[in-house]
Amino acid sequence: MNSKSFERSDHARSGDKADGSGYGPLSCLDVGRCAYVVSIEPHADRDLKRRLLEMGFCNGASVECIRRAPLGDPIEFKLRGYNLSLRSDQARYVKVTAIR
Amino acid sequence: MTATASLKRTFVVALAGNPNSGKTTIFNALTGLRQKVANYPGVTVEKKTGKTRLNDGTMVDLIDLPGTYSLISRSPDESIAMQVLRGLLPDTPAPDAVICVVDASNLQRNLYLVSQLMELGRPLVIALNMVDIARRRGLHLSSERLSRALGVPVVPIVGYKHQGIDQLKQALLQAKIPPLPAFPLPEPMTRAIHELAEVLKEPNAHALAERLLTHDDAPDLKPYFQDRSIRHRVESIQNRLVEQKIDPIQADIEAHYRWIEQVSAQAVEPACETLEAIDNRPQSPAGPSNVQPVQVGFAPRISLTDRLDKVLLHKVWGMLVFSTVMAGLFIAIFILADPLMGATEEAIANLGSLLTDRLPDGPVKDLWTDGIVAGVGGVMVFVPQIAMLFLFLAILEDSGYLARAAFLMDRVLGRVGLNGKSFIPLLSSFACAIPGIMATRTIENRKDRLATIFIAPFMSCSARLPVYGLLIGTFFAAYSPWVRGGIMFACYGLGVLAAVVTALVFHKTFMKTVPSSFVLELPSYKIPQIGQIVRVMATSTWAFIRRAGTIIFCLSVILWAMAYYPRLSPEQQEAITKQVAAELPPSIQQEAIDQETESRLAAAQLEQSISGRIGHFIEPVIRPLGYDWKMGVGLIASFAAREVFVSQMGIIYAAGDTEEDVASLEQAMLVDRYPDGSPVWTAPVAISLLVWFVLAMQCISTTAIVRRETGSWSWAIGQILYMNALAYVVALLVYQITSHLMR
Ligand SMILES: Nc1nc2c(ncn2[C@@H]2O[C@H](COP(=O)(O)OP(=O)(O)OP(=O)(O)O)[C@@H](O)[C@H]2O)c(=O)[nH]1
Ligand SMILES: [Mg+2]
Repeated sequence: MNSKSFERSDHARSGDKADGSGYGPLSCLDVGRCAYVVSIEPHADRDLKRRLLEMGFCNGASVECIRRAPLGDPIEFKLRGYNLSLRSDQARYVKVTAIR
Repeated sequence: MTATASLKRTFVVALAGNPNSGKTTIFNALTGLRQKVANYPGVTVEKKTGKTRLNDGTMVDLIDLPGTYSLISRSPDESIAMQVLRGLLPDTPAPDAVICVVDASNLQRNLYLVSQLMELGRPLVIALNMVDIARRRGLHLSSERLSRALGVPVVPIVGYKHQGIDQLKQALLQAKIPPLPAFPLPEPMTRAIHELAEVLKEPNAHALAERLLTHDDAPDLKPYFQDRSIRHRVESIQNRLVEQKIDPIQADIEAHYRWIEQVSAQAVEPACETLEAIDNRPQSPAGPSNVQPVQVGFAPRISLTDRLDKVLLHKVWGMLVFSTVMAGLFIAIFILADPLMGATEEAIANLGSLLTDRLPDGPVKDLWTDGIVAGVGGVMVFVPQIAMLFLFLAILEDSGYLARAAFLMDRVLGRVGLNGKSFIPLLSSFACAIPGIMATRTIENRKDRLATIFIAPFMSCSARLPVYGLLIGTFFAAYSPWVRGGIMFACYGLGVLAAVVTALVFHKTFMKTVPSSFVLELPSYKIPQIGQIVRVMATSTWAFIRRAGTIIFCLSVILWAMAYYPRLSPEQQEAITKQVAAELPPSIQQEAIDQETESRLAAAQLEQSISGRIGHFIEPVIRPLGYDWKMGVGLIASFAAREVFVSQMGIIYAAGDTEEDVASLEQAMLVDRYPDGSPVWTAPVAISLLVWFVLAMQCISTTAIVRRETGSWSWAIGQILYMNALAYVVALLVYQITSHLMR
């Protein structure tokens, strides 16, 4: 696949807020925002990486953050027309570009 | 494959598909069976078989499988599906064809499994289920177009209405091995697969090479990894790919999805293409630099599910609703079922006396009144309560709320080392720990799963309900149903508390491991179908009644015999009669003497019976908990089945009772006295017994399931020792403290 998708982003590693200027972890996407998936962090656990990809978090897929659970975690996302919840510990490994 | 399959008389067909896509609904429609269907992922956790006849008369063995997102399994239930589909289970024939149930309202993710099944090399038919929901959402899929794009027969179905089932049978007759899809893999990956396939030299070498390169850990690949040269080859190719910045797993799955995006775009009806373009727009294939920031929503309209979730998953309202639902569940069982229970009790009493009046005096009559009516009837009284519990659970299960509850609870459960996915197993354990423990198969993380299995029996199951009902009904009868409901709720709460503390101790001590994962799909809400709810409730309640009619019946007969025999000899009887006459002052009326004699005789009879001897033998052990020998016998009997405690009390007090018009078990218990005149049953005794039943592990079937599901006796035995020790200590403390306070 595109070799760029394996470059690590500093934003992702430092857990910065995903902003318009670059990439960020999915766990930092604000509620109500959409983003495109860039890649799964290569250092993610293999099983987790596979599960995230199988659930549809592939390069180019668009994801919307629907809500956070009352205690802040897990987070509900919508992608490919269905709803899925992930813990932020896992969503952290999905690198996205924020849309606006 | 089709050729050989059609030669055989029975044809084996597996029903595969994503969780909650409606496999079991279709299985039931095809076979006429009634396996459990509910609206959350992970209902079916075992393979279930049934039979159906195709239109040309061929008999088909149908296997319903647990849902799976992928052929690379992560949890025990998925592993079963994978192994059946790959033909790896020794006790299940490899399927001759596969029906893949696809949820039309969630096409892309469902097609991922289809893309893997197409590589499996077995004849395949797609059952495009839930087209009603898809249509309601404004998704107009064409099954012909989808079929053309996939090269596989596609049958549109509305499972719960049995629409399309005949066409599905028809399609099964024409099932063929599907063409291998052309997944747009990156060039180096394609080359790598070719290279490895050449080394392997097998008929389906390409699919095999792909699996080996993407770290598939299915058992059928073990021999390849054991072969040194192949393993080295695989590793060197993988390393080379990584050097080229290609992760084989990611490249493979993304290629599948790219193909899926094409297929799903082709499946849309042309007239609706403009609308659908939003949902199925082929997504930007290139890397991040080409990503265009376009803000589009996925759902064409705001669905009911979205609107409901705004409230039900709201930070404040969501938690409020959750607590109300949970508290309401248990209090309602007690309060709503109360009037029904009174009626049942009366009905059973009437039924009992119907026969009693016709029977001649003697052991047979005693067996009927003191054994069967008192034993089985005592348990049957609780049928309304249990039916109510099952009804509420069935409504919750079919509404789609349970997955939300798991979502809400994940953080809380995570704190004590469990998982949001522990929620459904634990909730099911309120009905019975056995299905609850089975349901833990959906938990991917082994540590979370073991912890959930270990604490599941702390949830008060329906077999404990009669015991709670008897004790609370007897000792707190003076209070309003609300207070009694509250005490009942406290019993359930104590079990939950014990579970939480146990899980926490596990988490903080020897089961500390990496944080586990929680990936949970939230299905759309559905209005629970009345027919289905009633059916689920009826089957579960019937199971309870059958248990009362079989196991509890047999045990009641045995227990009755143990409390009845051996009989006092005439000499013993005479001795007692004489003693009474000597003890009582001669001024007393003859009637009073007779009465006293009779009750002394009954007591002596009970004491010398087998039960009496056993009870007295263990009395020293249970004395500190406040129990007398009768309760001791009941406790021993309750290891066969908890509700037998109620039967045993009924039998013992019926046997020990001299008056023919036994008012009720409750009254018999309340008037029971120790020789020194103090009451046997006091509030501290009742509370201590309640605590014992909340915490103790007394169910042999549960132990057998724990052994099977954990794969080791140490878990099963550890659980028995731990729970019973805890029950003993806490019951002891509670009795000692409350009886001192109440003195
Ligand atoms: N609207 C609609 N609902 C359906 C249809 N088919 C099944 N359902 C519902 O979908 C839910 C899931 O059905 P199940 O048959 O339990 O699904 P399953 O695939 O066996 O699920 P698992 O065993 O958890 O993998 C149930 O609530 C069904 O009543 C359908 O065609 N239309
Ligand atoms: Mg099922």
